[in-house]
Amino acid sequence: MEKMIDVELRNIQKKFQNNIVVHDFSLQIEKGEFISFLGPSGCGKTTTLNMIAGFLEPDEGDLLIKGKRMNGVPPYKRELGMVFQTYSLFPHMTVAENIAYGLKLRKQSKAEMQERVQRVLDLVKLPNVADRYPKQLSGGQRQRIAIARALVIEPSLLLLDEPLSNLDAKLREELRDELKRLHQEIGVTTIFVTHDQEEALSLSDRIVVLNHGSVEQIGTPTEIYHNPASEFVHTFIGKTNRLHGVVTKVEGNRMKVQTDKGFVVSALQPAKAVQEGQRVTVFIRPEKIVLSAETAPAGVNQANGQLMMTSFLGAFTECQVQAGGEILDVKVQMLEKLAGVTPGSSVLCQWHEEDVLVMPAEGDRL
Amino acid sequence: MNKRLPVLLLTAPSMIILLGVFLLPMLLMFLLSFENAQESFSFENYLLFVQDPFYVEILWRTIRVSLWTVLTTLVLAFPVAMYMAQATGKMRGIITMLILAPHLISVVIRNFGWVVVLGEGGWINQMLLSLGIIDEPLRLLYNELGVVIGLTDSFIAYMVLAIATSLYAIDPSLSKAASILGASRVRTFFTVTLPLCVPGIFAGVTLVFSLSMSAFVTPALMGGTSVKVLPVIAYEQIMSTLNWPLGAALAFLLLGSTILLVSAFTKIVETKRYKEVFAS
Repeated sequence: MEKMIDVELRNIQKKFQNNIVVHDFSLQIEKGEFISFLGPSGCGKTTTLNMIAGFLEPDEGDLLIKGKRMNGVPPYKRELGMVFQTYSLFPHMTVAENIAYGLKLRKQSKAEMQERVQRVLDLVKLPNVADRYPKQLSGGQRQRIAIARALVIEPSLLLLDEPLSNLDAKLREELRDELKRLHQEIGVTTIFVTHDQEEALSLSDRIVVLNHGSVEQIGTPTEIYHNPASEFVHTFIGKTNRLHGVVTKVEGNRMKVQTDKGFVVSALQPAKAVQEGQRVTVFIRPEKIVLSAETAPAGVNQANGQLMMTSFLGAFTECQVQAGGEILDVKVQMLEKLAGVTPGSSVLCQWHEEDVLVMPAEGDRL
Repeated sequence: MNKRLPVLLLTAPSMIILLGVFLLPMLLMFLLSFENAQESFSFENYLLFVQDPFYVEILWRTIRVSLWTVLTTLVLAFPVAMYMAQATGKMRGIITMLILAPHLISVVIRNFGWVVVLGEGGWINQMLLSLGIIDEPLRLLYNELGVVIGLTDSFIAYMVLAIATSLYAIDPSLSKAASILGASRVRTFFTVTLPLCVPGIFAGVTLVFSLSMSAFVTPALMGGTSVKVLPVIAYEQIMSTLNWPLGAALAFLLLGSTILLVSAFTKIVETKRYKEVFAS
């Protein structure tokens, strides 16, 4: 069976004065998909969401929802659900009235309204707050009600505009899981805007990484993480070590790089093929570097160094290792089990060649 | 105790002044209002408002003119406040300045300005006459309309600022939320914006109403001899007729009716829901 396309953006472009904020954005979203727009502030993700919602009009390109062209259709005729960063519950209405707001506009009978309000309250696991006012609820509860209010009208599309950003860390995680559960339960097509890569990675079927108004990459979370299309995508999604160097040898699909600070790194040939003598940037994620107390001569994919600083974060410890003029970030599980390793001790850093990512150097950086 | 003492000492000077120049004279005036021509205690002065249609009409006229002023300021101020609420900070500053600028000029001068504009030979009548829209000059002065125009000009700034302040406090994403849920702009205004600026409307209405009830200069200048309101009559009794007891009674009647109407209005506005939503 062919996949149903719920939302389609065709070459969407948006300018504010002379700034292009969204540039040639094309995307097809399948029915039931959970898709994230991920990028730093000012990348155009919120602008795009506002165009889908109808608060802004694209200057160029077409927007289709369920096959219908939506350009020029006001937000109140689009039948969408939206959740905002600031909750945006109506403070002068009770929880039940907030949720019923959209139903009232759709001329539902009182009995039906009551039933549906109760059903969504149960869905967001807040069955007993119907008569409270928003300010009598906690931040997490308010956002759940906002989600309930968006879902009760059974929207064709759910838009989430950084809904977790105003919550503290623990609640954020809790509500993130809640969003995941709700999406699995209801299966509503969802667009989630965030600047938090963890949220995007954990929730999405696919992620659209945006930078300066352009799409950098569209892919599943694992594709985005392991096969980034650009340096921006790789550095934006999680911490990384960045080394500059020159390709010294290419052999089949394997290669060797001599870095400026004296490391020898072997790696697999990247998607964008490089040649001998070419300047490249080498990336190694902190969690891919293995730390040990052994002393061994420096060699391919290993470097001697000195442990500079550690930050114990519970499940793992973030370390900084000074090795041959570079400072490497290393993420270690159970550093406390490495006997005798304390800040100041000599350590050996090792990594596997398949964990090394090589990209042609951008610009003329030396 | 040692915490209260400094507070007591610091507030003492203003307390003594308030007591001496405000509360004490009020009390004396209040006692005076119960004096009759024979300088003995009686309710004579207050009974006038029950028995004499002249005074009943004056009280009613004062309330009527004030209510009209409240209504016109409210209707005229709302769009201005709405505009300010969505404007940039700089534009807000400019508009606030424009609204307050007329207050730099004495109300007497401003009212005379209106007399020139609204009079039978004023440019409004002249223009309408020369355009053939009217055959004889409209009476825009020395009637209740004139007083309402003058009072509206005097007090509209309070209404604009009161409403604008409460509009500023409304999260702009609320109207987005209403819109995405299916509400048109008109619907959003009546179901979200308007209910949320009730505190501002309430403050503006109370302020403008109290000020209009006690306004003296504008009714005296723009109402002429035919539209006398309570403050004007009280002034006449005290300054011209030298009937201080009646003047005092008129003043207290004004105070009493203002307090009564404002509290009745407060009672109506402050429902259980209002307290729940807006109580800090």
